[in-house]
Amino acid sequence: MSGVPYLTLMVFTPLLGTLLLLMIPKDRVEIIKRVAAFFAFVPLALSAFVWAIWGSTPVEAYGLRFMEQFDWIPSLGISYFLGADGLSLPLVFLTALMSFIAVVAAWGMVKEKERAFFALILLLETGMLGVFLSLDYIVFYVFWELVLVPMYFLIGIWGGPRREYAALKFFIYTLVGSVIMLVGILALYFLSGAHTFNMMVIATLTDRIPFLAQKWIFVALFLGFAVKVPVFPFHTWLPDAHVEAPTPISVILAAVLLKMGTYGFFRVSYPSLPAAAKYFGVAMAALGLINIIYGALTAMAQKDLKKLVAYSSISHMGFVLLGLAAATPLALNGAMYMNISHGLISGMLFLMVGAIYERTHTRDIAKLSGIYVTLPVIATITAFSFFANLGLPGLAGFIAEFFVLAGAFPVSFVWVAMAGLGMLIVAGFNLWMMQRVLMGEGRAEHAGLRDATPLELFTYVPVVILIAVLGVAPGILMRLLDGPAQRLVQLLGGM
Amino acid sequence: LDIRLILPELIVAGAGLVALLLDLFLVPVASRATSGRRRAATPATIPVGSVASGRRRAARDPALRRRAVGYVSLAGLVLALVFSVRLLAVAQSGPAGGAPVVTGPLAGMLVVDMLAVLLKIAFVAIGIGVVLLGIDFAARRGLPVGEFFALSLFAILGMMIMVATRDLIMLYVGLETTAISCYALAGLLREDPKSGEAALKYFLTGALASAIILFGMALVYGGTGTTNLAALPGHGPVLLGEGGIFPQAQPVALVGLVLLVAGFGFKLAAVPFHFWAPDAYEGAPTPVTAFFSVGPKAAAFAAALRIFGPVLMVAGPARTGGPTSSVLVLLFTILAVVTMTAGNLTALAQKNVKRMLAYSSIAHAGYLMVGFAVATPLGYAALVYYLLAYAATNVGVFAVVIWLNNRGTGDEISDYAGLGRRAPLAALGMVVCLLSLIGIPPTAGFFGKLYLFVAAVSGGMTWLAVVMVINSAISVGYYYALVRQLYLVDGKAERIGEAVGPEAADCPAGPVKGTPLVGLALGLAVLAVLVLGFLFEPLARLAGLAGGGL
Repeated sequence: MSGVPYLTLMVFTPLLGTLLLLMIPKDRVEIIKRVAAFFAFVPLALSAFVWAIWGSTPVEAYGLRFMEQFDWIPSLGISYFLGADGLSLPLVFLTALMSFIAVVAAWGMVKEKERAFFALILLLETGMLGVFLSLDYIVFYVFWELVLVPMYFLIGIWGGPRREYAALKFFIYTLVGSVIMLVGILALYFLSGAHTFNMMVIATLTDRIPFLAQKWIFVALFLGFAVKVPVFPFHTWLPDAHVEAPTPISVILAAVLLKMGTYGFFRVSYPSLPAAAKYFGVAMAALGLINIIYGALTAMAQKDLKKLVAYSSISHMGFVLLGLAAATPLALNGAMYMNISHGLISGMLFLMVGAIYERTHTRDIAKLSGIYVTLPVIATITAFSFFANLGLPGLAGFIAEFFVLAGAFPVSFVWVAMAGLGMLIVAGFNLWMMQRVLMGEGRAEHAGLRDATPLELFTYVPVVILIAVLGVAPGILMRLLDGPAQRLVQLLGGM
Repeated sequence: LDIRLILPELIVAGAGLVALLLDLFLVPVASRATSGRRRAATPATIPVGSVASGRRRAARDPALRRRAVGYVSLAGLVLALVFSVRLLAVAQSGPAGGAPVVTGPLAGMLVVDMLAVLLKIAFVAIGIGVVLLGIDFAARRGLPVGEFFALSLFAILGMMIMVATRDLIMLYVGLETTAISCYALAGLLREDPKSGEAALKYFLTGALASAIILFGMALVYGGTGTTNLAALPGHGPVLLGEGGIFPQAQPVALVGLVLLVAGFGFKLAAVPFHFWAPDAYEGAPTPVTAFFSVGPKAAAFAAALRIFGPVLMVAGPARTGGPTSSVLVLLFTILAVVTMTAGNLTALAQKNVKRMLAYSSIAHAGYLMVGFAVATPLGYAALVYYLLAYAATNVGVFAVVIWLNNRGTGDEISDYAGLGRRAPLAALGMVVCLLSLIGIPPTAGFFGKLYLFVAAVSGGMTWLAVVMVINSAISVGYYYALVRQLYLVDGKAERIGEAVGPEAADCPAGPVKGTPLVGLALGLAVLAVLVLGFLFEPLARLAGLAGGGL
């Protein structure tokens, strides 16, 4: 155990912020905004610092660093166990970054009940960071469910006209998924027979479990994670939630929440149940391909800009599934890379859609045109984001898709061909959207709208830079991701 | 006889008597006489505070005296809590780590084991919650204070006796002490026909249940020749038979056992013996409803644990005890599944909060019965822990209902519209408690359910755990209906502008001010809900001692 509990500090600083915010009188809006930003900035700084000293920190057990472990409920084998490896560190950084950006972006967007909004968003951040860092199933589950409640209120109170429906749908889908996941976790606990909820220990003992049971557990865990990803046909909550959620929440939803699902595959399902994972490989690939193609086709048909971006997320998450199914080092690297690149790009897309909506008060693609003329700076950054989204070489999204496809090639040419078709459609709807929204005649009613504010630019620029940097220097991430990917390949029996 | 071992009971009984006497001497006859009429002049839907406030000044002195009865009861309960907590050490200090034997005239009648002590603490704590909730309610709604507090204390006394005995006769005495107090408590709103209906229904079904229980006890005695529960497992073959379907079992004893299951089914409000509960819960004064939903129910569970626990365990830790034992286990399994499912499904359709909470508490009785169905020490320990978690949570929920009741609203789900704005603290507390009832971490309800899951799966009843999971998901539906009102519905916002002057406080759309006592009760309950999860380890150890020491 290292000296300073960086991970605990990181996870619980936002919670402290939540409690502090509740003590500030609710009409002191300026103070509330600054306090919230401060408490969202601390985890970001901490995660950057942890990344900086990553190389000089010794690896403890199971390829983990910065481990913290205390007994919590020894009679049931539950311990407070945090730790980070190359899989979780980038996701933690992404979470901290996007949460901070969401908080700052919310400064100008939230105009009622500010205190509750910022308190909830910080609570949400604690939950998300906890999910990525906890390595005990019960602690993991506690944080997993902790995400659910603030998200429900954030959509349900500050959302659009159909917010109640969207929030409830999100809540019920995720809750049902997660209780089924809990059943799977309990099955792992009992069948592994080690009397512990320690993820790492259980992962080494699962060969004791009969194969039939392994398959059932895999399915139970899959349902819990698939709802979050979301995998077709469990995806229908996502477009509703995105359309109704306020912009900062959409950003977090797309950038971080979906990754909780894919992270679950990488952290739990695949390492713990490699045999079942191989057994379901083709099914996973099929679902991944459905996600890619169905998501892209549906995105193309959307009239609402935000819905288009939401379906595009579904399409991209399909690549993560495909990478998992292929299970070659390259494909797994690509899938993990997709987690991060999609987090940055989709967050960016929702910020831009939000910026356009704030000004024009519509997300209807048919009612938008010529944004280049009326809002040149916003339009430029929007174009950049959509190019990143369609997988333009030189930007982060391309690296991820390329690695997944290159990695999947030796496994199945058909998969690659179908995914390639999906990519074409993705490129198609992105370009078509840009043509309709950004180009063309500027609309008279949009004349005189204010272009990007300094505060907005402050939220855009870091993400834009990261998308570009990760597009040309994938080594920054690959160094971290490769270790976990190789370990996973070994567990899955090599390729 | 070591008097310390029964000190909590003595204190509670004494406090009850003092409350009665105080009522007689402190509260003026005039005030007592008008209390009913005042209540009649202000039906439940009209805010009471504003109407009463004018008179309150004139009657300040009697009002203060009326509250004094409540404070005395509170002091007695706090004292009893202190002495109950001190018994925790005693319960572990007996010979061979077991409970000390009570000698003297009560020998064989009373035990001071962990189950008894732990639940006594819970009962006294519940009592403190109910008294805190009741003081203002009684003042505002004109409950006869002497009767309310004294009967509550006597009911708690009966509950304490129920859990602290291993003798059927003594258990019945405790049961009836509780039950008779509760019948009267349900009818305390004398001018309200609903309250009368509640009392009558509760009395009729309760008396029937008591008769069935007594008959069952007589048959068990006839079959085994003993009323001592500790001796019952030794009569396993007599009670349950061995080899084949009941060849050696005495039908008399077996019928007795089944009658006991049915009788306790009434007391626990298990489906299909539950139909009295929603009416009794709806009609009774809300602090009494809060009490019903946690107090007598927990005591009935503890008593059932005493009677059936050891017998069921003989019947089958690994479910190897032959067909007969399976029948008894099966009975509890069916009861558990039917109760939780029917409770949850019916709760979905409710519009009245107290009725909804009645069905919710039926559903929770179903979860609790999983402990019986599992029939292992771990299952019993989980049951005890869940009882504690559930009691704390439900007191919290009812604290919010009473918070509104004190302002004349709160019975309908729509009364909760916009409460997040009108009473932020109450709404926050209620959300925490509702999350606990659903079973979402990190609340006590989650850890209780987790413990039951673990017990069920390790007892070989995975499917029962799955049924619980499905039921928890169903329960989201109606708890959500309340959460939705709290934060997502605006609550007649347009009427806030109209409300001006002192009436604003009582306008349904305006802010709802709570009283300090209700706030205190809510705060304590929410604290317990949040802390019980993090104190899981020590509590589960105590619950394990309670469940294992049967």
